[in-house]
Amino acid sequence: MAIYLYLERDSFVHRLHPTVKVIALFVMFWSVYWVDNPLALLPIGIFMLWVAEATGSWRNFYRYRWYFLILIFTTTIVWMFFYRQGPPLINLPIIHISRVSLMFGFGRGIKLAELLAASVLFLSTTRVEEFTVGLAKLGVSYRVGFAISLAFRLVPLFIDSAMTIIDAQKLRGYDFEQGRLFERIKRYVTVVIPVFMAALRRANNMAMALEARGFGLRNNPTTFVEYPVVLADVIAGAALFGIATGYFLIYYTGYGAIPLK
Amino acid sequence: MKTEPQIATGRAATEIALSVSEVTFTYHGGAQPALRGLSFAQEHGEMIGIMGASGAGKSTLAKCLNRLVPEFEGGDFRGIVTIGKTRLDDVRVCEVAAQVGMVFQDFESQLFCTNVALEVAFAMEQVGMDRAEMKARLGPALEAVGLTGFDHRDPTSLSGGEKQRLAIASVLALRPSIIVLDEPTTDLDPEGKAEVFALIAKLREQGLSLIVIEHESEELLCADRVIVLGEGAVVADGAPASVMTNFELLEQCGVHPPGLNSVLHLLGIDRHAATLDDAFEAIVHAYPRLANLNAVSGSTAAAQAPVEGRSAPQALAEVQNLSFNYPDGPRVLDRIDLRIERGEFLAVVGQNGSGKTTLAKHIVGLLKPAEGRVILDGRDRAALRAAETAREAAYVFQNPDHQISAATVWDEVAFGPRNFGLGDAEIERRCHEVLDAVGLLDARESDPFLLSKGERQRVAVASVLALRPRLLILDEPTTGLDYREQRRMMALVQELNRTRIAIVMITHTPWLVAEYARRVVLMRKGRKLFDGGVREFFAADDLLAHSSFRPPEITSLARRLGTLALTPAELAAWIREHA
Repeated sequence: MAIYLYLERDSFVHRLHPTVKVIALFVMFWSVYWVDNPLALLPIGIFMLWVAEATGSWRNFYRYRWYFLILIFTTTIVWMFFYRQGPPLINLPIIHISRVSLMFGFGRGIKLAELLAASVLFLSTTRVEEFTVGLAKLGVSYRVGFAISLAFRLVPLFIDSAMTIIDAQKLRGYDFEQGRLFERIKRYVTVVIPVFMAALRRANNMAMALEARGFGLRNNPTTFVEYPVVLADVIAGAALFGIATGYFLIYYTGYGAIPLK
Repeated sequence: MKTEPQIATGRAATEIALSVSEVTFTYHGGAQPALRGLSFAQEHGEMIGIMGASGAGKSTLAKCLNRLVPEFEGGDFRGIVTIGKTRLDDVRVCEVAAQVGMVFQDFESQLFCTNVALEVAFAMEQVGMDRAEMKARLGPALEAVGLTGFDHRDPTSLSGGEKQRLAIASVLALRPSIIVLDEPTTDLDPEGKAEVFALIAKLREQGLSLIVIEHESEELLCADRVIVLGEGAVVADGAPASVMTNFELLEQCGVHPPGLNSVLHLLGIDRHAATLDDAFEAIVHAYPRLANLNAVSGSTAAAQAPVEGRSAPQALAEVQNLSFNYPDGPRVLDRIDLRIERGEFLAVVGQNGSGKTTLAKHIVGLLKPAEGRVILDGRDRAALRAAETAREAAYVFQNPDHQISAATVWDEVAFGPRNFGLGDAEIERRCHEVLDAVGLLDARESDPFLLSKGERQRVAVASVLALRPRLLILDEPTTGLDYREQRRMMALVQELNRTRIAIVMITHTPWLVAEYARRVVLMRKGRKLFDGGVREFFAADDLLAHSSFRPPEITSLARRLGTLALTPAELAAWIREHA
């Protein structure tokens, strides 16, 4: 199974300058941040689906399909406990089901799903090396940028390690599914120690290997791949500026909020 | 005619490439120095092999050569390390990268990039090389390690051997004068191992100065010099011919003596055999009658091999027509049938990715078959509860750290029995029994994470033994252990087998198969290619050639002499009898 999400394609998004891709990720987050109304979140969602189609990233979306569904479903349900606006559609104790609470919860679910979708798109089309370059061009120090991109490389490896550790405990009769939700969460604590130890060991080995290959010698290393800024980058940058401004205006004019009536 | 890519800097052979003078180092918080007054020098183009038991200071020494010690791993450092004419005082690790290339044991942790070309370019980028120069060096570096055309491949998709060769290419690109390889083949299958050592031989021919740390002495027979470390000091330094024939010293230092030399030693022949030919000539010279015996062909050897009966009415475990693939992935197991009898000792061998671990995970219930089924003691495993499966079959992971989670050895071993709801008295009895069996009763209150790798491996075995399984599956039980620890672990496994626990051992190590297993299953690309006796397996020339599983040299020597022996003692006894 592939550990990383990056897909080797030749789409226009793959060819964009790394800085534009980092800005695109920021713009997606920015746009989603300002609005709560599911209808207002719809255009950016459609835009992301179009990018997924254009970049051939469906495979990764399919891989995370359950996460998208769980995020939308559980967030919608959970907010009905806490968001108690609008006349209830059904009178029930504890839970408040109204048109407004449904819309708000669903909107929050869509928001989280879109944040995940933006991250999946970014990682499907951007090499971690490009991420480092993109951050460096935006003024982030090379070391910090490299550390951030390294985290993206390490997380899948830690997850892989955690799965093996869970398997090892299951084989000795440890039941992770026993008890109520909080008890179950508590039972996963047994996994934390070995995962932490494995992570420390790997991070230590990796840091040694990095230094042994000259990491840290210069603050501005050269790059093997050339990243020229071309017309497509300028057009994409302008389009992203338009999206970011558009979403801020939706927020500013109040169209991004949930109507209480 | 095609010329080999030149990557060495080509200096006069008598120049000193490296000098280590009176180096003593104690890690922060360490009670004893890891290195004690260590001194040696290396000439340009020389290959030095470093050997010794775990904890002897081999890796610490390697790290001194590029300043990881004391810059990265702090402590009290004394002495002088000189590369060429430059003393490495007060320099950072990254400043030494262009002179000393370092290849680590863990190939997963030294690859950071998303394709092969970027991986090779990484170190060049760090030293600020311009793009044209990087592009000019990429081709020769990849060609030198046999990865031409792999530029756009994702490193995670490479085999173990390819990954390690890529790591070597990434240090070669900087054209260092010295390359240090710290147990570069520990985690590799025999094919990957052969690939890396063929590359090492090629680099040596090109005049690169090499320092190779290795557990397997047979791999260092071609070195110019061998240094044996013991408790942080040099206990032997000389040509392989002198060091590898000093059996008392090798034994003392926990080094596996080369099999060919062991036979000569047992026969009282005071000679060093660097190759199979050397050993054969030495034996024939001492016992001329053996020259007239014919080499054993594969078919004759197979005929000599006793066939083991497998006719028990009900197997302990039975795999029936098992196939498996991960979602959207290729087939990992393809129609596997396998019977495991009570009390047997089975070795499962095959390249990395051949499906060995996946097969084991099906037996213990971690994976569900796409087709076929697993029967444990007459019952379909799919219908068994976790507790019932655990009592039938247990699995010890390759990395003991994936199992250990408790604060003390005792709690770790008690973890399983507690999960199955056993009473305190029973838990106490079982923990006592298994810790005694693995020789860790005195360490019962110790933190398992602070034990040595060999001890942690034994804790992992004890923690599954406490469930009293009838089948024990060990995934690479000796990886990363030195010779002494390997012997100790295998003595334990053999002892368990004597108590009628069936053993399935997944391994890449030929001598372990030869000396301990009674039956071998060979896997390749998810299919079972061979299932039979060990002698039958080592006699199947065509199969071995295709599987890249090399028989131990002792077996090859025996075949040439006209018999089929699996251990030095067995071959020596046969020679005495027939001479």
